[in-house]
Amino acid sequence: MEERLKEAPCGFISIDQSGCINEVNTRFLTWMGYQEEEMVGKHMETLLTKVNRMFFHTYFFPTIQLHNSVEEFYINLTNAAGESIPVLLNARRYVHEGVPVIDCLFIQMKQRIDYELELRSLQKTTEKAYLDREEAFAQLEKVYVEIARKQGEILEMNNELLKLSNTDKLTNISNRRFFQKELERHIDLYTEEGIVFSLLMVDIDHFKNVNDTYGHLAGDSVLVQLAGLLTQEIGLANRVARLGGEEFVIILPGTNAEESLQLAVKLNKAVENANWEIIHRLTVSIGASTFSESDTEVTILNCVDQALYRAKGNGRNCSIHYHEIR
Amino acid sequence: MKTIQQRNHVKIIGQGEQTILLAHGFGCDQSMWQYIAPALAEQYRVVLFDYVGAGDSDITAYHSEKYSSAHGYKQDILDIIDELELKDIHFVGHSVSSMIGMLAAIERPECFKKFVMIGPSPCYINEPGYTGGFEASDIADLLTMMEMNFTGWANYLAPVVTDPAKDPQLTKSLEQSFVSVNPQIAREFAEMTFMSDHRESLVSMTVPTLIIQCSDDSIVPIEVGEYLHAHLPASTLHIMQVKGHYPHMSNPTETKKLIEEFIAN
Repeated sequence: MEERLKEAPCGFISIDQSGCINEVNTRFLTWMGYQEEEMVGKHMETLLTKVNRMFFHTYFFPTIQLHNSVEEFYINLTNAAGESIPVLLNARRYVHEGVPVIDCLFIQMKQRIDYELELRSLQKTTEKAYLDREEAFAQLEKVYVEIARKQGEILEMNNELLKLSNTDKLTNISNRRFFQKELERHIDLYTEEGIVFSLLMVDIDHFKNVNDTYGHLAGDSVLVQLAGLLTQEIGLANRVARLGGEEFVIILPGTNAEESLQLAVKLNKAVENANWEIIHRLTVSIGASTFSESDTEVTILNCVDQALYRAKGNGRNCSIHYHEIR
Repeated sequence: MKTIQQRNHVKIIGQGEQTILLAHGFGCDQSMWQYIAPALAEQYRVVLFDYVGAGDSDITAYHSEKYSSAHGYKQDILDIIDELELKDIHFVGHSVSSMIGMLAAIERPECFKKFVMIGPSPCYINEPGYTGGFEASDIADLLTMMEMNFTGWANYLAPVVTDPAKDPQLTKSLEQSFVSVNPQIAREFAEMTFMSDHRESLVSMTVPTLIIQCSDDSIVPIEVGEYLHAHLPASTLHIMQVKGHYPHMSNPTETKKLIEEFIAN
């Protein structure tokens, strides 16, 4: 081998058709850490790890056989110390004195490959980050949909709770709590816009007798029927509320003292004329009161209470407006 | 619409009454048969082809989903059989083509007469009780190696792998350069080859089969040849005293003789 080729700034080996090494230059021996006699006659494979060997056989061998030339083949050699040496391999196959020969030139590419590996890993990281982001986004969207659904459910449950908290369990009409709020609202309306309103307090006559004679179940069914009857007579939802026991209250917006009393008398008659299945006959006493400037939430209830008391005193099954006893 | 012959770059040589179908292996194309095909053509009609994605095939016919499994490539063989109306085929498959061809022969045994496998392996990865020759990590390293050879380092700057079907230019020209191989197809072919396991199909193979195994093959250890022989119902195992994975290229005369003898008997 020419001196210049021995020391050339690249590795050089010449292999035969089967892959055995015929010639090797000094540079290559230095890289690999072998003596010339250790390397000549050996198969090229011995310089390769299992994977590199496989790759060499799968790609290098058929290509050189078919095309007599391989360019820029990247592979890792393993030297005597077991270190990996990444190289670029160019090879040429030709027939020399009747025998096929393959000349191989190697250029080390340690730094290049380090950069390349770094780039590669950065690219993989970026790709992964990108995928992760897309996945996270899809997950977030799912969560959003779920939250919206839960919100809907919560709103519905809230409405249901609100309704429950404002409803009398037995009669299914408004309860005292709702009445209190409604009263406040109507006082505000009166104060701000001058809209007059009246209250009726309805109490069943001798309700204790009903319970004592027919039992509490019968008493309950009377309360339910009366609640329905009052609501039907008033004709507006949410106006009739059960305060508790056998006591009902009715808010009448836009109704003056005279009108409220008329309505109360009408209710007396309706109750009296209604068909009461178990107890056959039922009457109520009604106190009425109309809100005035001097009134408060407390006084109006006090007035309507006094009127009712008077109606009871007057023999029941009748209505008294607070005006009449003032 | 291209014909299957155009799609798979089918070439027919020789005038014999009997047909030999030569199927190339991993990382190659039909030119790998150049050392034995002309000799076989003296006596037989020899059909050569490139799988879709390889050689001069029509790359626009390549679909990752179809060709991610050996069954996609099997369909290439069945398509060629149908279009050429081939019968009583003597099939010769190299490497992964042995298994692809076997799947075709299991599906249509009536089309095949004799079957030759050169350096076949039903499974490349070691498992308890089975020697395939490689660990899963070796295969992952091989795929990395391929990727780095085929894409070239500048390509790492390109963020998205494009659909190979959209850039047929990639696979053309510069055959001696590894850069010419379409990286995505090469990778998918490698994954299909090295990650599949055909061991359960072996028992269904009824066509008489010759297994040609090299005594020192860096890709397929000798145990694999023995395993195949034990599990293929109608098989003969022949071990060639040569090194390597390509006896039809390194020892074409002997390989041709083995094939002809097996077909004749």
